Amino acid sequence: MTYQFDFGAVLAYWPLLLEGIWTTLRLTFFSTVFGILIGAFCAVIRTGGSSWARAVISLYVEFIRNTPLLVQAYFLIFGIASLGIRLPILVGATIALTVNIGAYTTEIVRAGIESIHRGQLEAATCLGLSRTQTYLHVVIRPALERVYPALSSQYVLLMLASSIVSSVGVEELFGMSNRIQSETFRNFEIFVVLGIIYLLLAMLVRTGFTLLGLAMFPRRRKLGTSL
Amino acid sequence: MKRLASLFAFTMVSLVAMGQVASADTLEKIKSAGTIRIAIDLSVPPWSFKDENLNPTGSEVEAAKLLAADLGARMEIVATNGANRIPFLLSNRADVIMSALSITDERKKLIAFSLPYAGATTYVAAPKSMDIKTFVDLSGKRIAVTRGTTNDADLTAAAPRDAQIIRFEDEATTMTAVVSNQVDLVAQVPTLIDLINKKSPDKHLEPKLPLRTALMGVGLRKEDTELKQWVDGWVKTNVVNGKLQEIFKKFQGTDLPKEVAAASQ
Repeated sequence: MTYQFDFGAVLAYWPLLLEGIWTTLRLTFFSTVFGILIGAFCAVIRTGGSSWARAVISLYVEFIRNTPLLVQAYFLIFGIASLGIRLPILVGATIALTVNIGAYTTEIVRAGIESIHRGQLEAATCLGLSRTQTYLHVVIRPALERVYPALSSQYVLLMLASSIVSSVGVEELFGMSNRIQSETFRNFEIFVVLGIIYLLLAMLVRTGFTLLGLAMFPRRRKLGTSL
Repeated sequence: MKRLASLFAFTMVSLVAMGQVASADTLEKIKSAGTIRIAIDLSVPPWSFKDENLNPTGSEVEAAKLLAADLGARMEIVATNGANRIPFLLSNRADVIMSALSITDERKKLIAFSLPYAGATTYVAAPKSMDIKTFVDLSGKRIAVTRGTTNDADLTAAAPRDAQIIRFEDEATTMTAVVSNQVDLVAQVPTLIDLINKKSPDKHLEPKLPLRTALMGVGLRKEDTELKQWVDGWVKTNVVNGKLQEIFKKFQGTDLPKEVAAASQ
């Protein structure tokens, strides 16, 4: 054990690390917003749409959930470019992550929707709520509330998985660290620093989700009970 | 572990010592034996490789042939790989190395080098139609490079701030990015640029801006001063009469880097 630690050499590159953190957060933010929208939309169709629409959604979900994220990213960034459509790399990576997380969200939200008791729907009909009203207030919101813990874990996982897109040329946190490593040869230090940063980012994302949950679900805020 | 290390050290020392004894007068020995043993790695086209009939060829092999002919000796190729080129020379299994051996300070601690007779330049390559004459022209352009290579370091230092350098994990992905049209410009060695052109001829990639030139010399044992003197003279003669340039151009497709000739002036 004669290794001389030199964290100073790594921390001297803090502007690059900061830039990497910023890119990681942007990737996570956009794919979270669009991922939840896609997921909720697809889950509604998968539980109540026409049979061909269900088939299309289940094809999407099964295809995405059974192929590696890296392959999907390669397809969007290099595959499509070969056909002449050149997506900017950051956009391609964001789309890859969004499409990927959308499929997982669909399955999680579907589980939530299926847990809503039939009696609730019947009660909504008796009260004269329209189909849209029923979906918004009686189905989706309680469904999301029930699966909220599972959803937030999935999105923390998304933030961590975004490191994969460094290999298709995105300079997010992991890519930046590799660059710093190749310049300083301080790989031990950089991965210690990297681990700590990812841990803090994961706590940040989780806190964000907790706050968002309190804003979205008033009954939890007011009554402090879960469904 | 310690015993193993000392055994290794002993072996290395005795190998070097054997080399010294055996090569007391390598130039004289080559002349009297009529044979020169040249260490060449035959797996690096277009430098040195085997053609479809399994005959050794390439710019290094041709240069070695020329050297042997001028010395009035028969060439005997000692096949090596990249890592054991220098050990082969030090253990007297070869008289000289001519195997795209870049002259570096680290290697100079172990062996001597002749004047440079070949070289390799890394380039920023772009489609032929793109007008790029200086690094300033890279402004706003997207350039692919492999993360953490010397190409990356050189490009990062030379490119203007608003050039977009896109770093990939390995050479294969960098090439995929170019071949798939994701990125148009790339910083790489000419052999890989040629490979891209061969795989997708519609690219018309062309080396535009040189990044770094590595010079290559004939590797010699330090004590073979007479042989070194002769080889230095041979390099000078054949750089001046243009034979080395001709061989290089024939196999590499580009001109011999001008730094090589400059070193012989």
